[in-house]
Amino acid sequence: MTTSTPRAWWKTGVGLVLTGLMLFPVYWMINVSFTRDQDMRASPPHLFPTNGTLDGYRAVLDQQLPYLGTSFLVGLGTVALTVALAAPAGYALAKLRPPGGPALSFLLLIAQMIPGIIMAMGFYAIYLTLGVLNTLPGLILADTTLAVPFAVLIFTAFMSGIPDELLQAAVVDGAGRLRTFWSVVLPVSRNSIVTVSLFAFLWSWSDFIFASTLAGGGDHQPITLGIYHYIGNNNQQWNAIMATAVVASIPAAVLLILAQRYVSMGVTAGAVKD
Amino acid sequence: MTGLSRRRRLAAVAVIALAAVTGSACSSSADSGADGGAYLVWDPYPQFADDSEWVALLKKCGTSAGVTVERTGYDTTDLTNKALLAAQQGNSPDVLIVDNPVISTLAEAGALTTTDDNKLDVSAMEKNLLGAGQSDGKTYGVPIGANTLALYYNKDLLTAAGVDPAAVKDWTSLTAALTKVKAKGKKGITFSAIGTEEGSFQFLPWFWGSGAQLTSLDSPQAVSALTLWTDWLKQGHAPNSVINNTQTTSWQEFATGDYAFAENGTWQLANAEKLGFSYGTIAIPASAGGPAPAPTGGEFVSIPVQKKTGRYETSQKLVTCLTNADNLLTTDTTLSYVAPVAAVQERQATADPKLKVWVEAVRAAKGRTGDNLGTKYPKISEALWTAVQSALSGGKSPQEALAAAQTAASTR
Amino acid sequence: MPSTTETSTAVRDQGGAASAAPPGPPPSRARRPSRWWAWGFLAPVTIYLAAFYAYPLYRNVELSLREYTVRSFVQGGAPFAGLDNYRTVLTDPAFGPTLTHTLVFTAASLTFQFTIGMALALFFHQHFPLSRTLRALILVPWLLPLIVSASTWSWLLNSDSGLVNAALGVVGIDPVNWLTSPGWSLTSVIIANVWIGIPFNLVVLYSGLQAIPTEMYEASALDGATGWQRFWGITFPLLRPVSLITLLLGLIYTLKVFDIIWIMTKGGPTGSSATLATWSYRLGFGNLLPEFGPGAAIGNLLIVLALIAGLVYIRIERRQQLR
Repeated sequence: MTTSTPRAWWKTGVGLVLTGLMLFPVYWMINVSFTRDQDMRASPPHLFPTNGTLDGYRAVLDQQLPYLGTSFLVGLGTVALTVALAAPAGYALAKLRPPGGPALSFLLLIAQMIPGIIMAMGFYAIYLTLGVLNTLPGLILADTTLAVPFAVLIFTAFMSGIPDELLQAAVVDGAGRLRTFWSVVLPVSRNSIVTVSLFAFLWSWSDFIFASTLAGGGDHQPITLGIYHYIGNNNQQWNAIMATAVVASIPAAVLLILAQRYVSMGVTAGAVKD
Repeated sequence: MTGLSRRRRLAAVAVIALAAVTGSACSSSADSGADGGAYLVWDPYPQFADDSEWVALLKKCGTSAGVTVERTGYDTTDLTNKALLAAQQGNSPDVLIVDNPVISTLAEAGALTTTDDNKLDVSAMEKNLLGAGQSDGKTYGVPIGANTLALYYNKDLLTAAGVDPAAVKDWTSLTAALTKVKAKGKKGITFSAIGTEEGSFQFLPWFWGSGAQLTSLDSPQAVSALTLWTDWLKQGHAPNSVINNTQTTSWQEFATGDYAFAENGTWQLANAEKLGFSYGTIAIPASAGGPAPAPTGGEFVSIPVQKKTGRYETSQKLVTCLTNADNLLTTDTTLSYVAPVAAVQERQATADPKLKVWVEAVRAAKGRTGDNLGTKYPKISEALWTAVQSALSGGKSPQEALAAAQTAASTR
Repeated sequence: MPSTTETSTAVRDQGGAASAAPPGPPPSRARRPSRWWAWGFLAPVTIYLAAFYAYPLYRNVELSLREYTVRSFVQGGAPFAGLDNYRTVLTDPAFGPTLTHTLVFTAASLTFQFTIGMALALFFHQHFPLSRTLRALILVPWLLPLIVSASTWSWLLNSDSGLVNAALGVVGIDPVNWLTSPGWSLTSVIIANVWIGIPFNLVVLYSGLQAIPTEMYEASALDGATGWQRFWGITFPLLRPVSLITLLLGLIYTLKVFDIIWIMTKGGPTGSSATLATWSYRLGFGNLLPEFGPGAAIGNLLIVLALIAGLVYIRIERRQQLR
C-alpha cells in the first residue's frame, strides 16, 4: 500500500498508455459519432472528425434521454435482486456445504449455457400468461438470469477464501447462522459483492434480447432499444447510433468510477482479516 | 402440451412470488391489449418516433375506424422472430407490417389471414408487387410501398473519366466504363455481397440479368453473372470490402466520392440529395443489354390470425385506410419508396421527375418468392449468397461455388 | 465434488504462505454430519432456477427432439423425431470445420483474455496515481451495447477504409482482408472477442488480488523475494480458486458468443468464422425459414461441451485437494 515512490508516476504513464490502447475502439466510436455520412468510409480514414457534425447528438438528445432513465432503474433493480439471491447461496455452497450443493453448482453452470433467445422465448410465454410483459419488474427479473448463476459461482469462489476461524469466532460469540452471514460474511465479502453488482449492472445495461422480446412494446424501453431508432429497414444512421452509445456510456462510466472509489475505500477499511 | 402448460403454470406462480420480492407494486403498463378499444400495430420502422408522420397516420386511421392504435416499431430481423413467437402464443398484433419475403414464411406458419377471410381489396395493386404476398392462389397481404435496385453514379467522376452513363447498356459497356474510371485512379463500383438475404437481393439483378433462373443455380448464365462480380474484384474494379458490406456500408463508400457506381435502392434517394457531388441513376443492365429485372423490396401490410375473428373487420378498415391512394403517397414519400398502385406512381413521378427511373424499375421488377417458389426461396437464397461469398473470397471458382449451391438448395 | 471444496485449499495455502498464521483446520471438520438445513440459504436460488431455467431448458431439448417446421412451431403438433436433428447436424459437412473453429475461438480467446487480464490486474493492483480511475475506465467497453462495439471493430478492420489497414500501410505492410478472407476472419473475430473479454478477467482477478492480505507480501518482501517469486509463491496459489472460476466462466461465455461474430462477419465468408453458436443462431433465427430443430440440437451440444468443461474443473479441483 505504501509504494508511492518516484516510480509511481512512471507507472501512471504506462497505465495511461495501456488504458489508451484498450479504449482506442471507444475513441473510434466517438470519432464516428461526429462524422458526416460522406466521410464515414473515407480512405484513408480520418483520425479526427474534421468537418464534424453534431447531427448525431442532436438526434440523441431529442429522443434518447427517457431510455437512459429506464436503463438505470433496470440496472439497479437487477443488481439488488441478483445480490439478494446469490449471496446467501454462495455462502451456503462455500461454507456450509450442504449435501447436493455440488449438483446445484453444476446446474448453475448448465443454466448459463441456455441460449439467450431460448430464455427470452420462455419468459415471453410465462409473462404473457401473467400479463407482465412490458413492465419494469418483468424486465428486471429477466435480466437477473444473466447474472445470477455467475454471481453464485463468484460468491462461492470468493467466500471460500474467508478463514473458517472468523466464522467460528462468530459462532463462539453466540451468533446464529443468519447473523453470522449478515454481520460477518457479508461485510468481508464486500469486494465480491461489488464485483457481482458491477457485472449485474453492466449485463442488464447492455442486454438487448430480453429488452426487445419482453419490453419492446411498452413505455419502459431501455437504451439498447433506443439505438434501434437509427436502424431502419434498409438504412442505418451510424453517427446517431454511435452518439447514443457515447451518451449512454457517460453516466454509466461516472457511476463505475465512483463505485471503484467506494470499493477501494471499503476494501482498505475491511482488510483486517485475521 | 399439458405437461408443458403445467410447467408454465408452476413457473408463473414462482414469478408472482419473486415479483413480490422485488417489490413490484407498479404493474403500470397495460396488458398487450387483447381486448378493448386498442388495436395493435407492429411495423419494421423503429426510425419513426411517436411524433413522426407515420405514427400520426396510424392514429388518424385508428380514429376514423373508431379505435385507438397502439403501435410498436421493431428492428426488421427481430420482427420476424417476434411475429412467429407471438403467433405461437396466440398474441399476434392486429396489423403486422413486414418485409415482403417474410410474408411467405408467416403464411406457411398459418399466422396470417387471407383476403378471403379479411375482405381486403387488393385489386388496385400492381401484379408484380402483389406476387410476393401470394401463394397457392391466396393473397396474404397488401404492399405498402415498393423499392428496388438501380445503379447510382457519380456524375462528376464519370465526366472526368470520359464515360457517358447513357452508353452503359450491357455488361461489356459497364466493365469498359469501370476500366476507364480505374485508369483515372478512382474506384469503379461498390455493392453489398454480405452473407445474408441482403447479399442475395443485391446479386439477383445480375443473376436474372444473365438469363439465369432460381430453379437452376449452376446454369452457364448464372456462372457468367458470378464471374462478372468475381472478375471485378480480381481486377480491382470493386473493393474487397463488398464481401462484408451491408447496403448501408456500400452507400457510405459511394458517399466518399471515390466510387463511380453503386448498386443501391430507392430508399437512398433522400440521402442522395445530401451527397457532396452530383449523381444520377441508371437501371442495372442485363448481360445482353436492356434493364435487368431487379428484385422487389418493400413491406407488406398483413392481418395476423386472431382468436377473436370479429376483430378482422376493424383491422381491415385500418389497413384499407393505410393503403388508400393519398395515404400511400404520404407513406411512400417519407420512406422514399415507390407506391404499389399505378395511379399513385404517376402522381409520384409528376411531383418528382427523378422518381421516374425508379417507377420504371419497380414496374420491371420481380418478386423473390414469386414463380411459385414461396418458402423454397429462403433455402435457394442461402445457397446463392453462400456461393457468391465463396467465389468472391477466392475459396472456389464461380463454377464450383454455384454447383455446390445447386446441390445445397435441392437437397434437405 | 463430495465434501471437499476449494475452501480448505485456500485456507491451507494461506496458512502455508504466511508462516506466522495458525495451522489450517483439520480436514475432518469439513466432513461433519448432514447439513440439510443449509438449504435454507439455497432455497431462493433453487426456486429461481426451477422457475426460470427449467422451462427454457426443457423447451430447448424438446425443440431438438421434434421435427419442427414454421407451421408446427406456431400451430403445434410437430412429430417426434428422436435424434434425427442431431444426426442431421453431426453428418453435415459443416460440422467438422465449425467445431474446430469453436475450439480454436474458445482456446485462443481464453488464453489471451486471461493472460492480458491477469497482467493488467497485477499492474493496476500496484498503487500509483490515477490507478483506480484508469482501471475503472478500462471497463468502459462493457458499457457499450454489443452492436456498437462489434460494429466499431468491423469498422476498424474494414479492408478498404479500415484504420488497421491504413496503419499497416504506413509501415509498409500490404492491406489484410481481415473480415473478408477465409484465412483471416476467425483471427479477426478472436481479436474483437479478446478485447471485449479483457475487462471481465481484469475485474474478477483484481478482486481476487485484493482479497489477498497485504501482510503476506510484506512478510515475503522481508524475506527478500523478488516480484516474480512473489507472484509464483503467493499470488498465483492464492488466486487459484478465483482463476479457475474465471477460466470456467470465461469458457462458458466464449462458447456461447454469437453476437460479436454475427455482427462482424455473419460467420463468413463461407463459414470460415462460424462457431457452433453462430450456426445454431443462423439455423434457428438468422434465416427467413427457421429450422428450429437442428438449431436447438446444436445449442444442446454446446451445453454438453460446457458440462464436460465443468467436469474437468471439478477434477482439477479435486486433484488440487488431494495433493
